[in-house]
Amino acid sequence: MTAEAGVPDISATRAWVARLKLGLGTAARHRSIQVGGVLFGFIVLLAIFADLIAPFDPNKNNFRALLSAPDAVNIFGTDAFGRDILSRVIHGTRLSLLVGLLVVVATGILGVIVGTFTGYVRWLDGPVMRVMDGLMAFPGILLAIALAAVLGPSVSNAALALTITFTPRTARIVRGSVLVLREMPYVEAAKACGASHARIVLKHILPNALPPLIVQLTFVFSVSILAEAVLSFMGVGPPPPTPSLGNIIAEGRSYIQEAPWVALMPGIAIAMTVLGLNIIGDGLRDTLDPRLRNL
Amino acid sequence: MRKKKWITNKAKLRKALAIPALVLGIAASPVVGQVEGGELVLAQSANPPSLDAMTSSSETARNINMNIYEPLVAIDENVNPIPMLAKSIEPSEDLLTYVFPLRQGVLFHNGKEMTAEDVKASLERYREVGATRGMLDKVKEIEITGDYEVTFHMSEATPTFIEGFSSPRAPAVIIPAEEAAKPANEIEIIGTGPFKFVEFVPDDHVTLEKFADYVPNEDFDGPTGFGGKKTAYLDSAVYRIIPEAGARIAALEAGEVQWADQIPVPAAKRMSADENLNVYEARQWAFMTFIMNWNLPPTDDVNFRRAVLYAIEPEEVMAIATEGFYDLNHGWQYPGRTYNAGDIGKEIYESAHIDKAKEFLAMSDYDGEEFLILTDPNYAEHSRAAVVLAEQLKPIGINAVVKQLDWATVLKIRLTDEGWNGWTLMQGLEPFLGPYGIAAKMRGDQTHMRGTADVFEESYNRLITGKTVEDRQKAFAEIQTAIYDLVPQIKIGDVGRMQAGSARLKGFKPFRAPRLNDIWLED
Repeated sequence: MTAEAGVPDISATRAWVARLKLGLGTAARHRSIQVGGVLFGFIVLLAIFADLIAPFDPNKNNFRALLSAPDAVNIFGTDAFGRDILSRVIHGTRLSLLVGLLVVVATGILGVIVGTFTGYVRWLDGPVMRVMDGLMAFPGILLAIALAAVLGPSVSNAALALTITFTPRTARIVRGSVLVLREMPYVEAAKACGASHARIVLKHILPNALPPLIVQLTFVFSVSILAEAVLSFMGVGPPPPTPSLGNIIAEGRSYIQEAPWVALMPGIAIAMTVLGLNIIGDGLRDTLDPRLRNL
Repeated sequence: MRKKKWITNKAKLRKALAIPALVLGIAASPVVGQVEGGELVLAQSANPPSLDAMTSSSETARNINMNIYEPLVAIDENVNPIPMLAKSIEPSEDLLTYVFPLRQGVLFHNGKEMTAEDVKASLERYREVGATRGMLDKVKEIEITGDYEVTFHMSEATPTFIEGFSSPRAPAVIIPAEEAAKPANEIEIIGTGPFKFVEFVPDDHVTLEKFADYVPNEDFDGPTGFGGKKTAYLDSAVYRIIPEAGARIAALEAGEVQWADQIPVPAAKRMSADENLNVYEARQWAFMTFIMNWNLPPTDDVNFRRAVLYAIEPEEVMAIATEGFYDLNHGWQYPGRTYNAGDIGKEIYESAHIDKAKEFLAMSDYDGEEFLILTDPNYAEHSRAAVVLAEQLKPIGINAVVKQLDWATVLKIRLTDEGWNGWTLMQGLEPFLGPYGIAAKMRGDQTHMRGTADVFEESYNRLITGKTVEDRQKAFAEIQTAIYDLVPQIKIGDVGRMQAGSARLKGFKPFRAPRLNDIWLED
């Protein structure tokens, strides 16, 4: 983007948006994103159609089949309640993705609001970012555990706790982008043309701050899934018998030698989900970051 | 294997109390080869709620406290009462007076000698803060009748008094008088037992060390139950708090601990083939029960409680909760016990009666509100039972929600009227000690269910004051009938318990709490 002195290049905004579209189009053809997309897409489909795909009711007990090894009927085996682990993993994946999605949406909205205001309104920057720094200095999982302990174990409380944990990092990334973008010539040009602050932010700054935010949110998504699993593993996730990948592993840890499939199968599901998201995130970063795109 | 007679008019007392003849076996016969010294590390699932022994009936507290403190009267290996800090028990003919001459020269861990003043102060404190203080309801006055003698004056003859008084559930232990003046849970941890308290780091460990000046009870040849002549061979013992069963097993197999409680049954089966380990199996360890809160809707409604009772399929709950180590038993006493009340309630218990359950639910005021099942993960049997119960209640239209919190929090919440409707609890000592503990938790101001009914109070009085076994059996049968009618608690079944220890650990015999005396570690 170039501009002759005193002649602002307002078309630069459109160029950025076009670049974003181009980037996303390129992303769709990126090998990592394709691989990650297939992996993650498969898991998303499982989660969406869990009720149709799961062979059994995930909470249906069967005391005549406690800790049964994987076989033709129970492909992933059964747990200490005689419940079908495949069905629980499928439904647990749905819950993990739901928590991840809630956190991504909430973190994205809050992060954009806080990051934009602190980046654009200079006097807000110091005090608000010091609060964000304070939150960032607190260990994320510990904060989530404390919140879940105070508010009680549930899906929504786990999502809330993780949102509070991840919002400061997202806000900081958005703020960083806004700090750079607000000094751009096309923003100066928009100001010179009499554009309102709202228009400048919504039309010229935010669209250009999206690429790093998208990459960050894929990271938040995968870390939220892991964090939810940790919270559930520690007993501060959704209450029993609701299946979540973390609490299935927690239930299986007592039988790790006698019935390893109980903990192993949800562990594999977590690994696949996070791996898929991370590969997508890497691909997005490669395609959306101009410094990496040509490497 | 006692040396001396401890009840002066024992023949009369035995006739009056119908206490079974003492079986004079001892827990560990004299053995050569005991090894002195060493530190035993034990793993248990949860913190002791309190080390103020009088105030807690929790198993995790008792595991530790029974090695620190001693009562006037303890139980032997066959659950018969025997003198511990008392030299003997001397009841009057009319059972309105009990004289307890005390053993002389018994030292507290602070070096002070125990006297009648300490005994009176301790038992007066027990009346105030004791978790099972109802056991002293019939004691009108405790009188110091000598430096080493106290006399109980009873308000009425209570043939079962000594049996109740010997209960280790929340034991009426003797502590120094100056400590007895302090409120609950604010005392220095000082007893007369063979091990003394060193430190408690919550969520990590409790350390005890051998009390070098311990004065054993020479009236016995060896240990028996929680009494007898105790000898400490170990230098110290550390109770590590390891909530997760897999971690306890790993610690045991790695040699980091030498004894572990609550071993999952699948792991116990595997470990029994390991020559470096011993697996201990106790079949009739506890009753699995489901307690109802009478003070909070919807369980304040007897028809709702009946709906819950009739909806339960006990076999499924027990098989899952205990990993298959259980017995189905509708009775509130173990089969074959003196006070077993026969078939009362058996028909209701044997299987779910869904139509009947729906009928009772329709008769109740239930309007779809949450039925909160309180439970904890520290005892896996509790949480598994809660999950299965919730799933069994949903099909009849009960909005059952499992509320899982840590054990210490559960113990606090269940003492309030709010925040829970049902509570899954294994009751170990109550049935182990006979009918009195079970009946006591249905009456008075310390009921599990936060309320009571006249029938429980009246039947309990007949149970503890009945002059013959038949009278008392009849009273307990009335209690069991009322339990199946008013549903203060629901009996789910009998639970077994697996424990395991290192093969190096010698002399250990499972009892209601691990006894640190008369066990040792081989090199």
